[in-house]
Amino acid sequence: MSAVGTPHRYVPLAFLAFLLVLPHLLPNAFYVHILVTMAIFAVLGSAWNLIGGYAGQLSLGHAAFFGTGAYVSTLLVNRYGISPWLTLGVGGLAALLLSVPIGRICFRLQGPYFAIATIGLGEALRMLVLHYREITNGAQGLTVPFKGNAPWQLQFDSKLPYYYIALAMAVAMVLLARWMERTRLGHYLRAIGQDQGAAEAVGIDSARAKARALALSAFATGAAGVFYAQYTYVIHPDSVFSLGMSVQIALVAIVGGVGTAMGPVLGAIIMEVFVQSTQVAFQGEYPGLELMVYGGLLVAVIRWCPRGVIPWVSRAYGAVIGRLPALVRRPVPA
Amino acid sequence: MDLTTLLQAVVTGVLTAGIYALVAIGLTLIFGVVRIVNFAQGEFVMLGMYASYALWKVLGLDPYLSLLVTMPLLFVVGVLVQRWLFQPILHAPDLAQIFMTVGLSILLMNAALFFFTADFRSVKTPYAEAALRGWGLVVPLPRLYAFVGAIVLAGLLTVFLGKTDVGKALRAVAQDREMAMLLGINPWRMYMLAVGLGAALAGAAGSLIVPFFYVFPTVGVVFGLIAFVVVILGTLGSIQGALLAALVVGVAESLGTLFAGADLGLVVVFVILVVSLVVRPSGLMSRA
Repeated sequence: MSAVGTPHRYVPLAFLAFLLVLPHLLPNAFYVHILVTMAIFAVLGSAWNLIGGYAGQLSLGHAAFFGTGAYVSTLLVNRYGISPWLTLGVGGLAALLLSVPIGRICFRLQGPYFAIATIGLGEALRMLVLHYREITNGAQGLTVPFKGNAPWQLQFDSKLPYYYIALAMAVAMVLLARWMERTRLGHYLRAIGQDQGAAEAVGIDSARAKARALALSAFATGAAGVFYAQYTYVIHPDSVFSLGMSVQIALVAIVGGVGTAMGPVLGAIIMEVFVQSTQVAFQGEYPGLELMVYGGLLVAVIRWCPRGVIPWVSRAYGAVIGRLPALVRRPVPA
Repeated sequence: MDLTTLLQAVVTGVLTAGIYALVAIGLTLIFGVVRIVNFAQGEFVMLGMYASYALWKVLGLDPYLSLLVTMPLLFVVGVLVQRWLFQPILHAPDLAQIFMTVGLSILLMNAALFFFTADFRSVKTPYAEAALRGWGLVVPLPRLYAFVGAIVLAGLLTVFLGKTDVGKALRAVAQDREMAMLLGINPWRMYMLAVGLGAALAGAAGSLIVPFFYVFPTVGVVFGLIAFVVVILGTLGSIQGALLAALVVGVAESLGTLFAGADLGLVVVFVILVVSLVVRPSGLMSRA
């Protein structure tokens, strides 16, 4: 009881309450769409962060897991009429299965192998999906048949339900990361991320710990892919399986701050604001300029603040929390 | 499937392998000396292609002659990249190093998109269609020139590294930076030289393929990816290994295209990567 009264508890809860009412305060659905996008990328960045941030194993192919979730789900929905609520799990599982061999192969090795193999995986999948047109419809992609307002089909005529689902997923990812930080696996991963040799010297099975983190990460990314397909109704190999998507997922975590639970959330908010403002600024008139700025931003972040924005934000947050009073006085022990 | 078709695929693969080798040698040189995996290597190829294209379009310069411009140009690009982007993060974690080069790659790719648009462009030369024919095989001359050019440049680099003082100093830095410093070698200059050379080789590859390859902003991605596979298969840091591996990858890609279809060539390359990581992760040239 008393715990809720401390600033450490009530500030996050108040923030969550704010997020729940936020869409009702916005002038139109477009802003809700921006919030949904932010939440999806918060999920993706958090998922990437599990393996890329905590364990320091840099994936440049998370689009492979994202696209697998999206395609597996959409194929199951279209062909067999399975509810997307179920495919959220199935799509995640498919991505997880895809991650197993990659982990097996790469995590014995140290060096850039994982990063390169994941790029290869994403690109190879993109080409396979483009090639096997009979199943995947090639470059034209797949569409989710529109059913109107069908909650059981994970379709709604308003953006609000999507927002709440995406928000729930993002909150779940933050809680998962928070929880993992305190588990044995979390400590193993951080040790590996800091110095794999030292971690192994004290008896940590690094390949196994990394494979577990990757499996979790792939599952969450795949599930996010399923949600994305349902939300946008249309998926293309060149969007969901693209190298650009992989980089964007990683970038969210890097800009926010890798290896922290809230970093990817901050990163998702910052990046989406950035993307929207460049779109407003350039009006899509200059092809390439947006992504050029994007690449420049990545170089700048790595060059000048490689730990992301999280150190500043958490300092400011700590200062605010330190000044807030406890709402409920702790009962004095008798 | 008759023997000639098969042989033709092998010939095409070998010719392509020269170019892959050139790009990969640049990549492996940068890694061997500076210890940075350059994810922008493919974009250096792209820059070389656009430079040659522009010189041909504006001045009517033959692509092979434009090598004299594109190589120094890319050398300067490489030196600047090392000085201003790589040097500050030399001791940073992998994350910083990898994403610095990824950022550079995105930047260059989209700069090309911005300045040249997404149009596919091509250089038209009088010898574009010329070919040697015999025994039912066709060897397109531009591809042959590119192959020969690539082998000559790789040979020159090997001589430079093996016989000249500067080349030896470069290898010394690659082996043991502190020791090299004790011997009076300035490692920072060697780093700039290595990245400069690595970029120049990629740029040369770009100029050499311009007579038979379309130029577009994302053309470098495939070359970058293949270079990675070549470098891993041929042992990170080894030039001879890169040559050998390029041959394997070039021929395998060509055969894969023949048997599986033109759009799956890269999937074959990925399979090679996976197999080499499983069977021999330290590459063909490792002594283990």
